[in-house]
Amino acid sequence: MKKVKRETLCVKRGIVALGMLAMMMLVPMMSACAGNPTLGDPRQMTFKTVEFTPPDADRVVLNNGMAVYLLEDHELPLVSITATMRTGSWLDPAEKIGLASLTGSTMRTGGGGGLSAERVDGDLEQFAGAVGISIGRQSGSASLDVLSKDMKRGLQIFAGLIRTPAFEPARVELAKLQAIEGIRRRQDNAGSIAGREFGKLLYGADHPSARESSIESISRITRDDLVAFHRKTIHPNGMMLGVTGDFDKSAILALLRDIFGDWEKGEVPVLAIADVPQSQSAKPVVRFVNKDTSQTHLRIGHLSIKEQDPDYVALAIANDILGGSSFRSRLFNDVRTKRGLAYSVGSRLNSGVHDQGVWLMRAETKLLSTQEVTARFVANMERMRTELVTDSELAEAKEAYVNSFVFSFASSSAIVGRQMELEYDGLPKDFLQQLRARVIALTKEEILAAAKKHFNPERLTIVAVGSGEALPKLLSGFGEVKEIKLAPEG
Amino acid sequence: MKNRLRLRSRLSVDTMKNGRCFLILCVILGLNLSLNLPLAASSGLADRVVEQKLANGLTVLMVERHQTPVVSLNMTFRVGGVNEQVGQTGLAHLYEHMAFKGTRTVGTKNYEKERPLLEEWYRVGTELEQRQRDLARKSPERPASSEDRAAIEELQKRFTELQEKAGQFVAGNEMALLYQRHGGVGLNAATGKDLTRYTINLPANRLPLWAALEADRMAHPVLREFYKERGVVMEERRMRNDDSPTGLLYETFTSAAFRAHQYGIPTIGWESDILSLTPADTEAFFKAYYGPDNATIAIVGDINPKDVMALIEQTFGTIPASPPQPQPVTVEPPQRGERRVEVEFDAEPSLVIGFHKPALGHADDYVFDVIDAVLSDGLTSRLYANLVREKRIAASVSSDSNYPGVRAPNLFVFSATPLAPHTTAEVETAIYAELERLKMEPVSAKELEKVLNNLDADLVRALRSNGGLASQLALFQTVAGDWRYALKARDKIAVVTTADIQRVATEYFTKSNRTVATLVKKTGGKKIATALEHEVAR
Repeated sequence: MKKVKRETLCVKRGIVALGMLAMMMLVPMMSACAGNPTLGDPRQMTFKTVEFTPPDADRVVLNNGMAVYLLEDHELPLVSITATMRTGSWLDPAEKIGLASLTGSTMRTGGGGGLSAERVDGDLEQFAGAVGISIGRQSGSASLDVLSKDMKRGLQIFAGLIRTPAFEPARVELAKLQAIEGIRRRQDNAGSIAGREFGKLLYGADHPSARESSIESISRITRDDLVAFHRKTIHPNGMMLGVTGDFDKSAILALLRDIFGDWEKGEVPVLAIADVPQSQSAKPVVRFVNKDTSQTHLRIGHLSIKEQDPDYVALAIANDILGGSSFRSRLFNDVRTKRGLAYSVGSRLNSGVHDQGVWLMRAETKLLSTQEVTARFVANMERMRTELVTDSELAEAKEAYVNSFVFSFASSSAIVGRQMELEYDGLPKDFLQQLRARVIALTKEEILAAAKKHFNPERLTIVAVGSGEALPKLLSGFGEVKEIKLAPEG
Repeated sequence: MKNRLRLRSRLSVDTMKNGRCFLILCVILGLNLSLNLPLAASSGLADRVVEQKLANGLTVLMVERHQTPVVSLNMTFRVGGVNEQVGQTGLAHLYEHMAFKGTRTVGTKNYEKERPLLEEWYRVGTELEQRQRDLARKSPERPASSEDRAAIEELQKRFTELQEKAGQFVAGNEMALLYQRHGGVGLNAATGKDLTRYTINLPANRLPLWAALEADRMAHPVLREFYKERGVVMEERRMRNDDSPTGLLYETFTSAAFRAHQYGIPTIGWESDILSLTPADTEAFFKAYYGPDNATIAIVGDINPKDVMALIEQTFGTIPASPPQPQPVTVEPPQRGERRVEVEFDAEPSLVIGFHKPALGHADDYVFDVIDAVLSDGLTSRLYANLVREKRIAASVSSDSNYPGVRAPNLFVFSATPLAPHTTAEVETAIYAELERLKMEPVSAKELEKVLNNLDADLVRALRSNGGLASQLALFQTVAGDWRYALKARDKIAVVTTADIQRVATEYFTKSNRTVATLVKKTGGKKIATALEHEVAR
């Protein structure tokens, strides 16, 4: 539905000790057994909160506006570079959906920097270097991964593809054919259909967060369009570079200035995505797609808030308890563990800074249990809206959050990636510390208030993909059921 | 798709593409061991691994990495689909699910009271299902009596009561909850043909929690909520195999390629087998295969090996060794002619081709690793360059030199999707043309150099993540009996010659040694969903 970005749980400093939380934990079971004879009962173990101050990356801005993050890590003889670029498919013209994506893939495959496509591929693979370039809905990204001995030649190829891609016509043609084949195969998997139709119902089929390319829109795109899209949107002052691994800071900065320094500034596109006007009808929307499958693939939810919303933290923890935290969550325990009705079940709050978030519950379940699972979804949502979460649920959510913080620093590239992402989204450097402080202070009442306000039964959209014969009847209790008839692709 | 409050590790792009954006427990692994991702030769790994063996046979492999105060833990058992008997397929995987249900301590509110209820419930459940199967076998000549039906009804009632009563003592998902509360991420497990692994990443100071929970689970697991979890596994089967075009194509392909050996059976099991697995079968499987002598634990991260060993001795060290595990005896007979199968599905066409080849450790196995890289590793590989870029008849093409396991003779597999309007037949012909070229012409020196350069770089890259390294160490210790296997394999691969490649291609890539499966677009016919009504919904 949206561009995939890294998970971003990140704190920069040591973590506030939460000893009191451990004491608040209610352990509601009494056992006749004493646990391990030597270590004691694992349920009673307590540990200090891990203190860890991760290394801080340096940030240097080149004269042309390109921001460079640098973090040395000499454990392994490798260098990894990632770029984030202010471009994306929100810029696609309506009649040429797919332009941004195609530009990204052919920047990688079409040659550049004075080298033919064949030469680029051949050289890179001969010295085991890897380059990736892609453009998603709200940003573009590029990566280089090389042994440190190959850093210079790797970086030259990488920069050539980004600055002066050649878009060789044969490679453009191939990329178009592959994009079209991808469209033809879109309806192969029921889960993919459910996810895409759900997004289109929520945002509208023409909205930048949900719209899809078609064989026609891809066919219309020419090489000149790709050249123009690249020229218009890829600029040094719209780009950040993150460098991690086995390098010397001053040496690589000299090299980067040499390679990128004479690239002139341009006009960077403004990332602005229109909100969706909230529909006036206060009735659930229930839709099915007929596909010959053994399971019903369910998506239930509605549009939600952005990350800057004051209710975001409370709603995120509400969602965590409802269905976002796998084993710990209510949906997992109810639908999977207690009833055995689904393998994959849960809920998600996908909120970003730039467009409206989506909140959804999902599962795959055999046709005969479609009604029961849907009813459990609605009932669990209702319970979140009407009852306070328990003390132990809240304590568990907080402890899990605080104790797993340290995994944000599992690698140098993760640390740098998070810093870049905050800058891309225009968020303060300490945004994550702010979130953490909010989580720690969160109350049951705030969670209930957020759930009441932002989980809305009247606004639910239900999409089910599965047996067209049986689904209308199974779903009839949840609203007026209509069919989405998919035209065959291609 | 970001959520700064989510507490999970990064999602893979593939996972997101398919819309499967929730943590999924207990993934079934194909365990396609590619030698493209093994251990580091050039980074001094050989000196960094600390290897220990307990008196009860448990193997422990440790690597210190102190960058971040976290640790990755991987416990791998030498048991999987190959250890199953006819009629009990899916048992290894079902046990893996059941291993998350707790122990005599964890997962229960009072085990003394729970235990008799569980025993009675499972006795009633087993008898009920036996009688239901008997009833289903009745014919018009020997119809079911009203006594039969009454007995089943009575058992069903008793079953429901006992399920309810036993359920009152369950502390649901308590082990997972403990891990999560203590900051654990990536709690998961996976079952393959050759092995089963259990993984978790923790803040480094939580190792005692892990040791207490896992030693308890190795010694005293309690199989709770059995019938519901079997239902979960059925849903997993539907999702992965029945409703997935690729899943169903691979299941059909694999069972056509193997007529005798267990590699031909889907690891998740056949539907009817899963539905007849009992708590007693599952318990017996645990007893036979889950002893400490059948396990390897790999620990990578911010640790002190001496302290870790003291902890492990204290906990796992008290578990007695189990009797020797029964070993599978079936050997796949040589294939004596091409096999072709089709799967009809509401999806665009695709193709899988497999050739039988030897197991891990055979001299020819290293040659196949080189062939795999030459044919399909990267944009300059022969199959991509020729079928995708030049001829434009395929949208994708890949190969795998070790499917579906490595401990027994396995398959070299090609997988491809045609680019419309081209057909699977055209793609198949083009793949064979590339195989003929391998037989006729020596591979260039430049291609061989590329293979080795990439292998060496991947050896270094494999060290980047604690979890990845732990997984590789445990894997090779389990399937090859030595974690150093990957280092040794690198040297064998380095000396593979062009003549070796021509010889191996000529010997194995023959018509009579291959199985070909195609997915064809379904047009009308019997609906899938209606066929499922016989499943008892408990």
